Amino acid sequence: MLVAQVIANGLVLGGIYGCIAAGFSLVWGVLNIINILHGSLILLGAYIAFFAYQLFGIHPFVAIIPAAGLLFVAGYLLQMTVINRVINATVLVTLTLTFGLNLMLDNAMIAAFKADFRKVTVDGTHSSYEILGATLPADRLSGTALAVLIVVALYLLLKHTRIGRAIVAVRMDRDAAALMGVNVLHTYALTFAIGAALAGAAGAILSMIFPISPTTSSIYLGKAFIVCVLGGLGSVQGVLVGGIVLGLVESAGAVLLGPEHALTIAFLLLILLLLLRPQGLMGRKGYQ
Amino acid sequence: MTNNVTYTRRTLLAASLLAGITHCSLPALAADIIKIGAPLPLTGALSPEGQKLQQGYDLWTETVNASGGIRVGGRTYKVEMIYADYQSLTPRAVQLVDKLVSQDGVNFLFSPFGSGATKAASAASEKYGIPTIAGTASSAEVFDQGYKYLFGLFTPNETLTEPLADLVKQKLPGKVRIAILSRNDLFPLALSKDADKSAQKRGMEVVYSEKYAIGTLDHSSALAQIKSLNPDWLFVTGYTNDMILVRKQMSELGVNLPVVSMIIGPSYREFSEALGPLSENVLSATWWHPAVRYTGKGPFESAQAYAETFRKKYAVDPDYTNAVGSLAGTTLQLAIEKAGSIESTKVRDALTGLKVDTFFGPVAFGPTGQVNSYVPPVFQIQDKRPVVIYPAGIKTGDLKINAR
Repeated sequence: MLVAQVIANGLVLGGIYGCIAAGFSLVWGVLNIINILHGSLILLGAYIAFFAYQLFGIHPFVAIIPAAGLLFVAGYLLQMTVINRVINATVLVTLTLTFGLNLMLDNAMIAAFKADFRKVTVDGTHSSYEILGATLPADRLSGTALAVLIVVALYLLLKHTRIGRAIVAVRMDRDAAALMGVNVLHTYALTFAIGAALAGAAGAILSMIFPISPTTSSIYLGKAFIVCVLGGLGSVQGVLVGGIVLGLVESAGAVLLGPEHALTIAFLLLILLLLLRPQGLMGRKGYQ
Repeated sequence: MTNNVTYTRRTLLAASLLAGITHCSLPALAADIIKIGAPLPLTGALSPEGQKLQQGYDLWTETVNASGGIRVGGRTYKVEMIYADYQSLTPRAVQLVDKLVSQDGVNFLFSPFGSGATKAASAASEKYGIPTIAGTASSAEVFDQGYKYLFGLFTPNETLTEPLADLVKQKLPGKVRIAILSRNDLFPLALSKDADKSAQKRGMEVVYSEKYAIGTLDHSSALAQIKSLNPDWLFVTGYTNDMILVRKQMSELGVNLPVVSMIIGPSYREFSEALGPLSENVLSATWWHPAVRYTGKGPFESAQAYAETFRKKYAVDPDYTNAVGSLAGTTLQLAIEKAGSIESTKVRDALTGLKVDTFFGPVAFGPTGQVNSYVPPVFQIQDKRPVVIYPAGIKTGDLKINAR
């Protein structure tokens, strides 16, 4: 029974981790930017969902729409006005820029929302389901299902839409894409906007699962980073695989070696993978 | 040569004039104000606790200043608090203690929040020989450093775990099986060790004892394991946000145990507000509760009078962090009055030999500088309200056991 519960916990966590990392992976893969701001954007999405519920009674799952929408616009403007200026500089420059933006946003959120932990508590979310001897909390289960759906939607967007193909083209060869008539700067901004929107959606989902505080942005960033490297940079399926692997490893590690070592095992796995399979479990060159 | 002599004379004249001015003006300034430095986590993860402590300090300062100030040998000193936000980052707290002493020239210090930060900052305040009141450090590890200027207002951790273990033992028949889940942090770990000792001393079986990392957002694996072990008593340590998360996940995973105790968390109203019915029957122990019935010296004549004054200013009931903030001020005030001076060594000596009743309980310091003079109350959330169940003299209810 414990084994079933550990696997169930890992799978449920894994889906959410995948969603946390999807936007981060996209931006890293296409723009070659390690977006340190990603964790803060997730929290901003979570706060939008929190206040939407508190002020208007909007369920966090519905609040995904305004959270993702607002962050899409903010992400587009940020990329167009700020990040595009240094997009061709070395990784260190964009890393420093997003690190600075992360500090600004975190402190602005502390000033605006305070550092207190908050959580959306929707009536009836404490119910849970029994499946094969494992107890699955309703809010986590539905959150994970939604998270997986969002990642699948991203996959379909990249594969079947004009803008998706443009993003993949820019990812594979920027100069060739430009020669084919793709507006590269606009595509960059759209990619960053989609990444930000995914962060906002992930934030709205986890506002009812984890306690949120502006001081926890680095935790989400750390998870996104591990998931990306585990799954393979820029691969949408990789994000889901990486998320589930991380969820399972953390879940099993907590039982086998004690909860304080859950993250240690995850990072050990990360180092091993970087040594043996640096492209990640599902990593490939470019999008299919 | 003549020039040199003139120069030297002028310099001497200027120096003596300056010395004269300084000599006259400094005591005049010092006579008016006692400066107390308080590094606080006003932002960051510990900001709820930091703000509560500040409310306690502020209430004491306002009350003392409204009554004229602290009277020492015919002179009256007003109190000025100098706050510094260390953003819940312990290394920053240590730097700020240096700044408060060397730049702001504080006469006394109140420690940062919690055992870990207090211990780190205590080396700095000891170096300067500034009497320091630690409001919120209870772990013996903070006070066994041989420091002479550090005084702690919380009784040692085992004064919380011993009565808890007694109460559980009395209520549950047979061999009690206990699971301990602890935040990997100085105070929560020290408390868990004491819980382990208290349990084993009474013949209980410790079936699970693990730590979780600071910042953990998911306890489902630990709770799944605890559920499979089916203990009679779950003892969780950490801070309010950890406790809220653990209790919520317990409910989600269907972990129902006869006794669930959590320290710290249930003593704050935020715990019950965030958890609603899930806070029911959660057991806890703390160093002070508005239900205690102590009277004493200082600006607050009793626990009731303190609670009333607090409510008048903040429109909520005080909790133990608020109260210990005000107690830090009260204790320092009583020591200064006893010493008849604001000189640091004299106040330090007065603190060492202090034996006084306060609204918080009797205050007297043991050989390590940690208070050992009062019994912390044990309470349980019943019908959304904390009900004191120990000590017998002030209890308002009995321990309730959950159905499995």
